[in-house]
Amino acid sequence: MKISIINGSPKLGKSTSELIVEYLTPLISKNNSIEVFNTNTTALNEGQLSGIICSDTIIFAFPLYVDSIPSNLLRLLIGLEKRQFPSQNIMVYCVVNNGFFEGKQNHIAVKQIKSWCAINHLIWGQGIGIGAGEMLPFLKDIPLGHGPNKNIGNAIKQLSFNILTRQGGEDLFISPNWPRFLWKVQSSLFVWYPRAKSNGLKKSRLFEQVQKNYLDNIKQLEQKGKKQ
Amino acid sequence: MTVIIHDLENTELQTIFPQIGKDTVLVSEKGSIKNCIGCFGCWIKTPGTCVLKDGYENMGWILSQAETVIIISKCYYGGYSPFVKNILDRSIPFLLPFFKIEKNETHHKQRYKNTFQLVVHFYGENITSQEMDIAHSLVKANAINLHATSCKVLFYQSFNQIA
Ligand SMILES: Cc1cc2nc3c(=O)[nH]c(=O)nc-3n(C[C@H](O)[C@H](O)[C@H](O)COP(=O)(O)O)c2cc1C
Repeated sequence: MKISIINGSPKLGKSTSELIVEYLTPLISKNNSIEVFNTNTTALNEGQLSGIICSDTIIFAFPLYVDSIPSNLLRLLIGLEKRQFPSQNIMVYCVVNNGFFEGKQNHIAVKQIKSWCAINHLIWGQGIGIGAGEMLPFLKDIPLGHGPNKNIGNAIKQLSFNILTRQGGEDLFISPNWPRFLWKVQSSLFVWYPRAKSNGLKKSRLFEQVQKNYLDNIKQLEQKGKKQ
Repeated sequence: MTVIIHDLENTELQTIFPQIGKDTVLVSEKGSIKNCIGCFGCWIKTPGTCVLKDGYENMGWILSQAETVIIISKCYYGGYSPFVKNILDRSIPFLLPFFKIEKNETHHKQRYKNTFQLVVHFYGENITSQEMDIAHSLVKANAINLHATSCKVLFYQSFNQIA
């Protein structure tokens, strides 16, 4: 089976989507040829796009942006649609991860991929939504299926089984096996404040409001746009 | 102030909004927009402003001045077109990185006190009922996350039906 995995994260460095792909790949690689496509630096070329549409299975792993599919992946989906799939016997799965705690908030993005699948007459497999996505890299040394990685492990296991057997499955929305209040406190203490500090910013600066009057600037830009 | 985020040609926009007042800001496609790269620089490096300098770095501030935000977008898979979505992705500096729990769901805290009404016009020849359902849930979720006071979603076969 030829499986194409599309990492839809636009992050330049390591992403949670990449980690999810790393979790999934060994579970589905036996007797299958797997190709992973990254969309973060350059747009996929003609050869890569033709490769994707000739797959038996397509898996999208991507972050939730503003309650839906990030714009870079949206462009790719439209690009693939334009090329027209040579076969309708292609299974489509997706794993969406989001910043908020509740994996359930990924349900709209999963439905968007389902809609793309219907428009292209492909076979919908399953969607997984994983909450607290920025926490996953912190947990990467804990084996899947254990402790805070319990729910993610179970979901990835079910998904890989369905991919291997070319079956559909119920969409699953999960969060790490971890208290939400703790996650919320930790996100400030271990993520936002230290990252700001590494940029030389004090805590209070994170709350800053932009005061400058950019309005003229914007109007000028608009004028330029009109002239072009 | 009214903010119109749209994916039309400016001449097309003029046919549906012939008189655009001084207190309206148009966010239009100039062919130069960059993808959000998920760096969170707009929260932890230059709080409130995107680090990508392409003329679209001030979306957070623009939203902080809005009373009404009107979005005009071709509908793709129940959501926005790539340009409009790109603008929304670049709009998270409007919010703070910090979380709050409301109705048992996580959302971001507000950077500004300002709130606005959100009106979304989706156009497209073959918008399915499945896509309309998705669009309704999407705009509702956007309104909650952007702290909008109200939201409205409308569908059209063609953009020139938008009045
Ligand atoms: C522009 C932007 C918009 C986002 N919008 C949402 C959102 O609406 N809901 C949410 O839960 N997380 C949102 N997030 C958080 C990401 O989904 C989260 O950081 C995710 O773990 C990133 O995954 P990645 O590392 O695979 O790119 C957003 C992040 C960015 C940069």
